[in-house]
Amino acid sequence: MTIDGNKIIHAVMEGSRIREAKGIIPLFGVYLSIFSTQYYNRLSFDFEIKMGKSRTAESESLLIQAAQECGYATFHGIRNSWEWEKIVQPMIENKEDQIEGFIAVAVAFGWGDLEVKKLVPDEKLVIRVGDSYEASGYLDRYDPAGSGKCYMLRGVAGAFMDLIYGEDYPDGCFAFTAEEPFCRAKGDVYCEFIARKSSG
Amino acid sequence: MTALNWQKELSREGHRVVFSGQPFTMHCHHYNMNLQKTLEDTLGEEGVQLLFQSAEESNYNIFRHLIDQYNQIKTTKSKLEMAATLFQYCGMGVIHFQTTGPSGGRIVSPSSHHVTGWLAKYGRRHTPGCHFTRGWIAGIMATTYNRPLGEYIVEETSCKMMREPECVFNVTTHKT
Ligand SMILES: [Zn+2]
Ligand SMILES: [Zn+2]
Repeated sequence: MTIDGNKIIHAVMEGSRIREAKGIIPLFGVYLSIFSTQYYNRLSFDFEIKMGKSRTAESESLLIQAAQECGYATFHGIRNSWEWEKIVQPMIENKEDQIEGFIAVAVAFGWGDLEVKKLVPDEKLVIRVGDSYEASGYLDRYDPAGSGKCYMLRGVAGAFMDLIYGEDYPDGCFAFTAEEPFCRAKGDVYCEFIARKSSG
Repeated sequence: MTALNWQKELSREGHRVVFSGQPFTMHCHHYNMNLQKTLEDTLGEEGVQLLFQSAEESNYNIFRHLIDQYNQIKTTKSKLEMAATLFQYCGMGVIHFQTTGPSGGRIVSPSSHHVTGWLAKYGRRHTPGCHFTRGWIAGIMATTYNRPLGEYIVEETSCKMMREPECVFNVTTHKT
């Protein structure tokens, strides 16, 4: 069965309107916040700037790692939640369908128009995104970049593979690593993420 | 009650999440806390400043836009009520503007996304940790009292991340 993304979007939009007396949104096993993309973009890109040119590789990998660790914990929580059990699980027939479920949740969260282009089980995942908020935010604020700028999505692409093909939670994080060969922030027409097994 | 129509304001344009016409996104406590920790651990005070300024600037823009939309909201009291509602609707928690005026004030938060998220993920802190909320407050104050960005200093004098009973914020201006 294919995953019906609209059902998931509907569940997220409904769930995000329910907050407990403390003003907190518990949804899919995590606490959710809804905030401006400008906040996240400034945080990431100014962090890079403050780290300076000599520490570019370090700041990139810190931002990707933060997203991958979180994607790993978040989507582990999500696939063990009652909402997943009720709404997504009935549409899942095999391991690979889980990725489609994750993608639908990421779209529902407003991370972009993610689409799986290719999935080779246990080997490779290719995700294409035509409208990543990170690339849009980068272009709003700076001149075109020399490399990919969608660190959050890059970490998350690795995390999706970690969760399906890595060791059991919590030992499988960083089993996969994603690259972003194409990014709108550097003038490409879309962003593309390729996750492969980590070396070493 | 404030007039903020959340059902209308939070919507979708295809794959995008929009709030009052502005691009929004949903993230969970894992990501928010991890970003904060990364910035604090790597850049120290400069990272803390960046958390504050990013929240201040983005919230200033959100709230400015909202106030322009709801022109029936004119008094400072109703603006601050709308701000508290916004905080809650965004899943950020509960906030009370106890005593506030153009030169500052005292603001209390008995519960928040950042406190719950931080304690769940990293446990008790030894220093106040609600840098996002401090910046968020600075953005609201600047909009409400028609002051420029960067005008308000927000200090957290007590923080639930340190297991104190509430987060308490003391606001002053650079002029005082
Ligand atoms: Zn990109
Ligand atoms: Zn606090």
